[in-house]
Amino acid sequence: MNLKIDKMKWLAHGWLLLVAVLILMAIKHGPVFDSSIMGLLPESDKEPNVQLATNQMAEGFSKRVILLLSSDNEGEVQAAVRAMAVVLEKLPDIANVEWQVQDKDIVQRQQELYPYRFSILDPAVRKQLLNNEFEQVQKRALTNLYSPLNVGRNSIIDDPFGFFSELNLNRKNDFKVQVSNSLLKVTESVRPTYMMMFTLAGKVSSPSLQNRILSKIKTEENTLNQRGITLTMSGMLLHSAAGAEQANKEITTIGLGSLLGITIMMLFVFRHFKPLLLMISAVTIGCLSALAVTTLVFERVHLITLAFGMGLVGVSIDYALHFLCQRSVSSVSVTIDKIILGLALGLFSSVMAYAAQALAPFPGLQQMAVFSVVGLCTSWLTVILCFPFWTRNYAQQTLSVAIKLDRFRQVFPRLENRPVVIGLGLLICILFSVNTLLSSNYADDVRLLQSSPESLLEQDKTVQQQIIASGSSQFLLIQADDIERCLQKEEQLSSILEQLVFDKLIGGYQSVSSFLPSLQRQNENIRLVEKLYEQQLESYYTSISLSPQNVIEAQKIMDQATMQSLSSQVWLSQEASNEGKDLIVRQVEHGAATLIRFTGTIDEEAVRTLQKLSIEDDAVVYIDRVQNISKVIGVYRSEVINLIILAYLGVILVLFSRYKMQVWRVITPPILATAFTLTAIVYLGYGINIFHLMALILVLGIGLDMGIFLHESHEAPHTWLAVSLSAYTSLLAFGLLVLSDTPVLHHFGLTVLLGLSFTWFLVPVMRRNKYGNVY
Amino acid sequence: MSRVLFFIILSLPFSAQAQLTFIELEAMSISPEKLSGEFKQEKYISELAITLSSTGLFSYHRGKNIHWKTLEPIQSELIMTPNTIINRQGDNELFHMDVNAAPTIGLISELFFSIMTSDWQKLAAVFVISGENKDGVWVAELTPIDETIAQFSSRISLRGDHLLREITLYEKSGDYTAIHFDRLSQ
Repeated sequence: MNLKIDKMKWLAHGWLLLVAVLILMAIKHGPVFDSSIMGLLPESDKEPNVQLATNQMAEGFSKRVILLLSSDNEGEVQAAVRAMAVVLEKLPDIANVEWQVQDKDIVQRQQELYPYRFSILDPAVRKQLLNNEFEQVQKRALTNLYSPLNVGRNSIIDDPFGFFSELNLNRKNDFKVQVSNSLLKVTESVRPTYMMMFTLAGKVSSPSLQNRILSKIKTEENTLNQRGITLTMSGMLLHSAAGAEQANKEITTIGLGSLLGITIMMLFVFRHFKPLLLMISAVTIGCLSALAVTTLVFERVHLITLAFGMGLVGVSIDYALHFLCQRSVSSVSVTIDKIILGLALGLFSSVMAYAAQALAPFPGLQQMAVFSVVGLCTSWLTVILCFPFWTRNYAQQTLSVAIKLDRFRQVFPRLENRPVVIGLGLLICILFSVNTLLSSNYADDVRLLQSSPESLLEQDKTVQQQIIASGSSQFLLIQADDIERCLQKEEQLSSILEQLVFDKLIGGYQSVSSFLPSLQRQNENIRLVEKLYEQQLESYYTSISLSPQNVIEAQKIMDQATMQSLSSQVWLSQEASNEGKDLIVRQVEHGAATLIRFTGTIDEEAVRTLQKLSIEDDAVVYIDRVQNISKVIGVYRSEVINLIILAYLGVILVLFSRYKMQVWRVITPPILATAFTLTAIVYLGYGINIFHLMALILVLGIGLDMGIFLHESHEAPHTWLAVSLSAYTSLLAFGLLVLSDTPVLHHFGLTVLLGLSFTWFLVPVMRRNKYGNVY
Repeated sequence: MSRVLFFIILSLPFSAQAQLTFIELEAMSISPEKLSGEFKQEKYISELAITLSSTGLFSYHRGKNIHWKTLEPIQSELIMTPNTIINRQGDNELFHMDVNAAPTIGLISELFFSIMTSDWQKLAAVFVISGENKDGVWVAELTPIDETIAQFSSRISLRGDHLLREITLYEKSGDYTAIHFDRLSQ
């Protein structure tokens, strides 16, 4: 006996040492976490420039916050904007605040661009020149000259046809905003409303940054409200903060609730703290080893892996409970022998289901597979190797709960006793399920997973309606050898895009070339202007009584000004490039890349045109981030379905070799539960998505364990207790997530709740009539 | 100290009497719903020391539109609404502009609207006023408080009786536009 205990001790300590070494290695390696959804795509799908552009776009967008202040009193709201700007500009977390247009900025921009007035032309003017409508251009200049509105115009000698003021006047701005008292006034608003916008200096996901900025704004908002000024905001910062707050709240309420429920139940059943501690240690060792191995195998651990990987906790608890319940009726030396076969089959079925995911060509699923398989195996080994030693002084005692629960089990109707009634009932349910599932749809749209509170979405909508802001999710990527060629390509595309705007299929678009035409285009413009001067300047000047000397003078100034064009280097060094700069992709692998961004909503038909463009032209890529993410989720979903089916066919085959014709008793409860759960989800109005499937692997794992353990122990009451407790703990740990407002967690919880409940009720129905003995 | 106070007290009634206010203007002049008449515009261009004169007809419908029809030396028609500016030459539309899309032109057009329709309340928000009133004929000098407006016009001088008769818009460059109204009918 002593020898046996020594052996147990050696095994337990040896195993713990191994786990410790593994964990230390991982700590030394340093885990790197990744939350980018693109990281989940197969390597070949990622074009480096597409990813760089997407990241740049997303980052710029996520760091922007828009504020609208409105009040009935114009003066008050203007004062409030100035006061708010002072507060915001003082915050170190804010990189810059845009709230006013200073005259010196306007003057500087004009001075920078004025020398290029003959090479950068307003599109309407250019069109007239291209169509040889020189006389029209002159008439337009003359009409403007006599117009009472024509103030602030430039010199008649330097720019006789007013190209520069045409360019400035027609320069559309991103927002529906007008400058009033140097501030940005929203034009389409009933109450006087002013806009402010700030950019974050740090990461939007940082909780401390969110807290610092938002608490400051909240204080300001309170004083504003007292003065009758309302504040409306929009930005990722708010969603991110709301999400974090929600998660915190839920972890403290739902998390504490489930922990309390599990603790009370374990104490009630075992009357000791120790079993609870053992259970927790098995699960903890499993999770830590899983994380350690994943860190060592993969360069970065994706957060999605962790989120779903944690589901294996529910399955690994099975092994601990099965041991503890068996140990309560058996001596330490025989416990393992009695349950090893059941445990091995249980492990095999779950490992198969998770390992199958590794076959998918997706890094996300491969990681999840490694994480889950390692976690399950280490938990299992901890139970086998450590539990005998840890429970060596454990007194055998019949658990009274086991007897009570066993009595309750006898109340269940059995399929064997009433094959016709129950069989028919089940058959109807199955037919109904199949019928429902065949006509159901999948839901892979990432926007369905939107978790922000209504009030925030409402604010977003208000801001969107008042100012047409550009989104970040849809854009065109232009790739070429250099910037000049990118600009030329953009100019080629502009006729298609203009047509889309004209047909009202897109709101508008922004491109670098609208600020900085290609050198080719600039030279073309200069040629057109030269032709115009040749044909119209003299008659134009004569009509307003200017002398031939003036004609010579104007001609000379134009000749000099057209000696140089605006190069991209010069433009980038100018203040004027601020609006368009972020449309150039920084850090490209080779060559150059620019973006064309869309404003307002994009019609389906426009999307088709843009996609077609992207297919036909190698230099152009149409990117829709939301759709791309949805697509990834969809592909993952279909891969997961196929692999689960494949894995379980393998499991059934192995189980068949052991249980022969009795195998249906083991496999029907989890399979029927899965079908019924999916049907219920469809009936609740949700489309089936990958989060439901991930939860179903957990349900199938626990469900199969139930059947296997019961079969192996000949329906022993303590085994029924073990599997019931296992279902109960998973219900509390995951099923309670159904109360979560975060959709991903809600879906996961709902599936576990329904799935495990169905399984627990179906298992006894399928069991045979004879019962095992308590001892 | 008491001397200073004395002068302040002494100067108060005088300055108050000479000072024209927007409220007084509102009381003296009428802002008709509709008005039409003839105009003569003189635009002085300091750079070339020339004056461009033009004449034509105008009409407005308060809050709705202004028609500005130049007849001499060129023929063109300007139609302004609170949201758009359309320039026509015969049947040919030279340009059509959405005021909201172009912030600067929007501001000028709004200003022109307020002046033409004698919307004193709106003007009081962006200008300080000085001037005098003699037997119902008044002269007012408007100086912009709004920095953005100051970019376009350093001051505006107005003359009128119960109706607005003359506008002169001075620019920073030294250019000015003087508009004289005649044969007004409501």
